[in-house]
Amino acid sequence: MRETLSLLFYLMRLRVRTRLEFRASLVIAWAAQAFGYAGVFTSIWLILTRFENIGGWTWPQMALLLGFHTLGYALGACFTLVQLRRMEEIVLGGEFDTLLVRPLNPWAYLVFSGFNIEYGGHILLGAGLILWALPQLAVHWTVGTSLLMVGSLLSAALITASLITIISACAMVLGRARYLFGIYFDFWELSRYPASIFAGPFQIALLSIMPLGYMAYVPVSVLLGRTVPYLGSAAGLAALAAGPLSVAAAFFFWRFCLRRYQGGGG
Amino acid sequence: MSAFLALIRAAFQRELEHRSRSIARIFGTLVDILARISIWQAVFAGHGSMNGITLSQMITYALIGGTILSSWDATMIVREVGGTIRTGAIGSTLLRPVAYPVMLLAEQLGSRFFDWLMTSLPVILIMGLIYGVQPPASLGHGLLFLGFLVVSLAVLMLSGILIGLFSFWVFDAHSLEWFMRGILAVLSGGLVPIWFFPKGLAEVAHVLPFSWITYHPMAVYLGERDLAASSLTLLAGGAWVLVLAGAVSFVWSRACGQVVVQGG
Repeated sequence: MRETLSLLFYLMRLRVRTRLEFRASLVIAWAAQAFGYAGVFTSIWLILTRFENIGGWTWPQMALLLGFHTLGYALGACFTLVQLRRMEEIVLGGEFDTLLVRPLNPWAYLVFSGFNIEYGGHILLGAGLILWALPQLAVHWTVGTSLLMVGSLLSAALITASLITIISACAMVLGRARYLFGIYFDFWELSRYPASIFAGPFQIALLSIMPLGYMAYVPVSVLLGRTVPYLGSAAGLAALAAGPLSVAAAFFFWRFCLRRYQGGGG
Repeated sequence: MSAFLALIRAAFQRELEHRSRSIARIFGTLVDILARISIWQAVFAGHGSMNGITLSQMITYALIGGTILSSWDATMIVREVGGTIRTGAIGSTLLRPVAYPVMLLAEQLGSRFFDWLMTSLPVILIMGLIYGVQPPASLGHGLLFLGFLVVSLAVLMLSGILIGLFSFWVFDAHSLEWFMRGILAVLSGGLVPIWFFPKGLAEVAHVLPFSWITYHPMAVYLGERDLAASSLTLLAGGAWVLVLAGAVSFVWSRACGQVVVQGG
């Protein structure tokens, strides 16, 4: 176990060192991605300057929601997105077969050897929005709320990593998975807004089969003392539990697909 | 011209092959439009109208602006140019009888036409039946909107190709793509129409070519301008198309000098 962990850490270090060979390109990538997100956030800010709130959420509250969403996503995606988004090509090109004969779990190899540090812009933007918004909001800070904030950020990262793993695992059975990422990102974009503005079925979907509502909406609502429909007083606990539960679902689904994998190459 | 049309047709047929992707795209666009409409329903809940704009108009804006006049996928042009340079495929494109930017334009038009037919129209139909979609303000506004549609497409494609061609010097198309997304998200008026912008930003956004992608066509469609003012705006958009086409031609001629083909 210790050897495996040190090998995974070594693979991560190799990847980071490779990317750091092109530092200027990395910094430009951070700035560009943060700029892309800032464009969308500016649009939301423009709505709020004119209309004052979206479904009762003011700009500082929305900024906390967007910051939480961006930061949680970045923490999970740096381990999974770029690596597992190409699962379809990995399977169809026969690369996955070569991974199966290595003395290392293929998921762990893919995830750690492809660790992506290009999310610096996301992290700076997300953390910046949270740090800007928090002093302007009446959050009642206790040990419980502090733990909830840290725990639910980790939970958001786990939800991201789990959902990306589940989608990529479909490639083992279906041969295709890329288009499913499109659907994931459509729901992911929904989850950067307060779920309460959507119709009931979408709210339920975001709190159950597509648990992206727990990435930001549920924990931020709890921090702000807002009521979360359908969850009520269980919202805080649900925000913390959603991540580990998603991991368990992803673990079993990956194993399920792996057992049914019969080779994708020609 | 026949080569240009053949490329458009080929791109259209290529899209037709990916049926599951088309279904996923319809579903994704439905979710996107639902989000836009939900946002406007939420913000208009306490207001009858804002700046003379009603919720019903904003639903139409979201529906047409988020489908036919959407700018999001145009950043794919930048990604494609980057991939062509990175893989070295740019060398073989120089051998073809059609200039690379023209080829790109034709392929993107083919994809876009497919998208209009197989994604935008079904989504407008479905969401229009649920939420209601307004017709053009008048027959004249409707005819002018068709002209704006051509200008919108030309500005979108040409600015995408122009930014993509900078990959010849920057070598990082991924970053250029994200910069373009950020610019278009605000300045095209795709999500938030420019009439809701603060005065200073609105003045800047009005004159930049990106506002011809979504904002100006929708402002005309909804009858926010009279026919004379709309015609002048259309002419100004046409001028931007000529400027962008000239810029693409100039940058491409410079980019050709950057290409060094190794091996044989």
